[in-house]
Amino acid sequence: MTSSVSDIAVPLARHRHRLGASSWTFLIAVVVALLALVPLGFVIWATIATGPEMAYKLIARPRVGALLTNTVLLVSITVPICAVLAVALAFLTERTDMPGRRLWAWLCITPLAVPAFVHSYAWIGLWPGLHGLPAGVAISVTAYFPLLYLPVAAALRLLDPALEDQASSLGLSPLGVFRRVVLPQLRLSLCGGALLVGLHLLAEYGLFAMIRFDTFTTAIVEQFQSTYNGVAAHMLALVLVLCCFALIGFEAILRGRSRYARLGSGVARVAGVVRLGRWRYAVMALPALTAAFALGIPAYTLSRWLIAGGATIWRMDEIGLALLQTLTICVIGGFFTVLAALPIAWLSVRRPVRSSRLVESCYYLASAMPGVVVALALVTVTVRVALPLYQTVATITLAYVIMFLPRALVSLRTSIAQVPVELEQAAASLGRSPARALMATTVRLAAPGAAAGMALTSLGILNELTATQMLAPNGTRTLAMAFWALSSEIDYAGAAPYALLMVVFSLPMTWLLHHQSRKIAGR
Amino acid sequence: MTFLQVRGLRRHFGSVAALDGVDLTVAAGSRTAIVGPSGCGKTTLLRMIAGFDVPDGGSITVDGVLLADEQMQVPAHKRGIGLVAQDGSLFPHLTVSDNIGFGLEKNFAGRDALIDELIDMVGLERSMLSRKPEQLSGGQQQRVALARALARKPRLMLLDEPFSALDTGLRAQTRRAVTEVLAAAGITTILVTHDQAEALAFADQVAVMRGGKFAQVGSPRDIYARPVDAATARFLGEAIVLPAEISDGFAECALGRVAVDGGARSGTAEIMVRPEQIEVLPFHEGAEGVAGIASQIDFCGPSYDVTITTEGPQPFVMRLSLPSRNILGEGDRLRLRVAGKVHVFGG
Amino acid sequence: MRNSVALLAGASALAVSVFAPPAHAQVADAITIYNAQHEGLTKEWAEAFKEDTGIVVTIRNGSDMEFANQIVQEGENSPADVFLTENSPAMALVDGKGLFEPVAADTLAQVPEQFRPSNGHWIGVAARSTVFAYDKTKLSADKLPKSMLDLATPEWKGRWAASPSGADFQAIVGALLQLKGRDTTENWLEGMQANYTAYKGNSIAMKAVNAGEVEGALIYHYYYFGDQAKTGENSNNVGLHYFKGQDPGAFVSISGGGILKSSKHKEQAQAFLEWLTGEGGQRVLRDGTFFEYAVGKGQASNKALVPLAELDAPKVEPSTLNNAQVTDLMTEAGIF
Repeated sequence: MTSSVSDIAVPLARHRHRLGASSWTFLIAVVVALLALVPLGFVIWATIATGPEMAYKLIARPRVGALLTNTVLLVSITVPICAVLAVALAFLTERTDMPGRRLWAWLCITPLAVPAFVHSYAWIGLWPGLHGLPAGVAISVTAYFPLLYLPVAAALRLLDPALEDQASSLGLSPLGVFRRVVLPQLRLSLCGGALLVGLHLLAEYGLFAMIRFDTFTTAIVEQFQSTYNGVAAHMLALVLVLCCFALIGFEAILRGRSRYARLGSGVARVAGVVRLGRWRYAVMALPALTAAFALGIPAYTLSRWLIAGGATIWRMDEIGLALLQTLTICVIGGFFTVLAALPIAWLSVRRPVRSSRLVESCYYLASAMPGVVVALALVTVTVRVALPLYQTVATITLAYVIMFLPRALVSLRTSIAQVPVELEQAAASLGRSPARALMATTVRLAAPGAAAGMALTSLGILNELTATQMLAPNGTRTLAMAFWALSSEIDYAGAAPYALLMVVFSLPMTWLLHHQSRKIAGR
Repeated sequence: MTFLQVRGLRRHFGSVAALDGVDLTVAAGSRTAIVGPSGCGKTTLLRMIAGFDVPDGGSITVDGVLLADEQMQVPAHKRGIGLVAQDGSLFPHLTVSDNIGFGLEKNFAGRDALIDELIDMVGLERSMLSRKPEQLSGGQQQRVALARALARKPRLMLLDEPFSALDTGLRAQTRRAVTEVLAAAGITTILVTHDQAEALAFADQVAVMRGGKFAQVGSPRDIYARPVDAATARFLGEAIVLPAEISDGFAECALGRVAVDGGARSGTAEIMVRPEQIEVLPFHEGAEGVAGIASQIDFCGPSYDVTITTEGPQPFVMRLSLPSRNILGEGDRLRLRVAGKVHVFGG
Repeated sequence: MRNSVALLAGASALAVSVFAPPAHAQVADAITIYNAQHEGLTKEWAEAFKEDTGIVVTIRNGSDMEFANQIVQEGENSPADVFLTENSPAMALVDGKGLFEPVAADTLAQVPEQFRPSNGHWIGVAARSTVFAYDKTKLSADKLPKSMLDLATPEWKGRWAASPSGADFQAIVGALLQLKGRDTTENWLEGMQANYTAYKGNSIAMKAVNAGEVEGALIYHYYYFGDQAKTGENSNNVGLHYFKGQDPGAFVSISGGGILKSSKHKEQAQAFLEWLTGEGGQRVLRDGTFFEYAVGKGQASNKALVPLAELDAPKVEPSTLNNAQVTDLMTEAGIF
């Protein structure tokens, strides 16, 4: 930890001489980065505090082995299936003349509007005995494949079709072209998407708890429920964090150092479509089947419970309060996340030097920490060190900032990059101080990006359960919390309105995600 | 001997005709350039020959074998036609060596030797084989693309504006190198370009394309000197088009009495003179040629751009480029004389 | 710039106004409860209590041991005034750290001695009985286990379920430990690990029995009655077997309520416990749809239940149930 701080401090000092505004911005960015690294620091601290002997005793036991087996199997089976499905669907929707491909593309993203634990709820509503690894894999695939579909579809759409023409003029059959030219160029987006799916699998609680499949996250929550933030939970968190690092490292190796940007100048021709001929209608079976599982099952179960529950499940006072509280933390969390992302977003566009890239990578690393670890860390830190912040909106907001900052960062960066730096300079030449020049120009013009970032962050917060449950102020009951409490007591009908509301409020934001993924891929 | 035969090729995109009945004959081992402004349909024609697009009508035959008509299509990868695209289209995820060897069998014994031979042939260092395409300059990328296409010993090579992304100096140099390699290999080649000088310099046969049709097909010298119409004339280079009265193999026009190329015609017609045919001399009373007044003189270093208005009953205004070795002033009188024969449209 | 400041201020104001609890806690007539009881039950209690006294209750929901450990970590800074549990071990843990304010004598007098610890630091507010919920279509009366200990024998391999991560089950193991000692408990847990299927939550375990996934489940009684009172769709195939005969499986667990020493609203907190163990709170147990046993003197339980007196429960001292040892033993047995 100390070494990274001093690394950052050196360029900071140098900057200060030259640029007032950017050094202040950098300072803020560093502070936010340090806050974001609190969970990681906590895990290191907890390990040291536990001591090697105790740590060994808590980690080297059959239960941890079983959890590790579960986790490894879950990730290594789910991610490849998601990848194959995502590539197949992306190819069909982006590069073939399959009828209604715009609609199918939309249906491939919509499952993201259904929180993962609602997917689980829907499946066990249909098949009550469902449990274990096969169920975990099946539900995870339907819940998370869009995270891979999005980048792969965007990349496919932007591939230079000239390369494919070239390959077939060199004697490759269409299948050979796909295998040797298209697939290698999708590697970056496949790796990125796979990492995202992997991290979600490691961090998810509700989905797996509901089908009785134990992962590190469910085990930590269980430990938390029986010992609060005890040592055993800390050590499970350590192993979980190591799993995340392993995943990140694995992805880095797979991705390699190469870049697959288009060579040469000019705008790539829009890719042509493959004519499927008599297969045109038959191939619709794949997206139709996927949609049936990923959307049909939730829709069926939800409407069944809503109908069975009738009017009595709509306890408007409770639902209204939960909705109000949820939307409020979404707005607050979204707002502060965008605010926290602003300095580094500006720096990464305007001053892309090594030190700002280092700070930026801290945010990505921090956001890879599962919600349960973030919550465990913030509970411990606030209860021991920063007591006035204990159980406050400020703490849970910080948790959201840590978990969702990259979402805001990505949106902001694209939109800041579109604002010419000359505008800032013009404002400065008209007598504004650098900070005010920035506010008057770039910040104002980047507002659409900020709004998009806020919406995407809100989507994350809306469907967040684990950290919210552990950190929320007394008396808080979000839609996700209420849904979880009711469905845990098998009041499935009573939980249905909450699930419905989460889906309804997520839908417009998934559209935004869809829209944005294309814009980012175009960068 | 006819190698490639294109007959009545048509392709519509909605109501727009990209190809509106194109006929083309290419002799074995020859070089043909298809030149035209962007959007004229030349790239569509090339893609159709390569097999990336399907004709609505007409046929393509190579070496007596039908490749495509409105009924059937030989897929691109079975045509044995090489392609070098505008920016080379090297595979960014492969090394130069793997790019060149891309179309070769993986277990082919002489693979490495062939790759070495190919990179020598296109004039690049063998040390570049291990590099990634992004580490090469634009000209080098194009040479690699050519080597890659040559590796499969194609019967026909298609070049789709392969030099247009290069800098001016590099462009001519790369073009000469490519021409030499293709000539040495004896491969029938079709070049698509919007650059008329490139087309004229490269080809044995030039086809000028406009609005989905060939306006004119012929040898470079022939189509430059005897274009079918004013638009074609202007597309191929600077052209001065003016009305004339033709009789007995001579044209009477604002530039005086000049010899015409087609003798048979007489009466009123439009003629074309290339600026390089016009000699501009100091004015001497009684000397040969017509008189003109210089105005709007722009000094451009080696040359002047000058507007010259001829004297006479029907003054004719033209803009010419003159060497700057003689001092020229506004209102100077000049003498104009046409060398060689002028071209009569429709004659 | 000015806009951003205004936005910031607006967002903060919104935060304060919607998440009112901290503000509530400062109001004189308000208490905060760390509630490990069923959310619905405590909510109903809180509403009725407010109706009767005007005191506002803010509830944080969680589970027994989570809150017990949380309160210990929070120490004197705990925002909680009252702690409500489903079982006794969590109360014992907090009491062991000396964090409870003694319960007023009048309140203690409302509950018989067997339903509260002898030191009077906390008080029983409800009770629940261990049962073996079984699949009526598969098991006849003669095939039911005679004792809870039988469930660890090979005969029961793969046939029963439990929710071991819950405080409910841990309380049952705690009672076993107190009644039969460490060796028996260790052996029983080992046998259990070999035999049982884990579910998350007692209601889910019962649902699995009802659906024929397992033959029986070791849970508490009221899940069955709660479901029967609704649609019965998760319990219509289920029968309840009470072990009786002072078997460890006949254990009756006491749900506790206590007031924290750190509370700044002790008066209101005392009022709440007095109300809870008196007519007001116990009536909710009798007339509501929660089916936990009432423990107040002279307070009847719901008529649908087998009377407490007939259960022939073993005598267990609630204040010495040791949950830490239970979780250690369960961890050793590989259940956690």
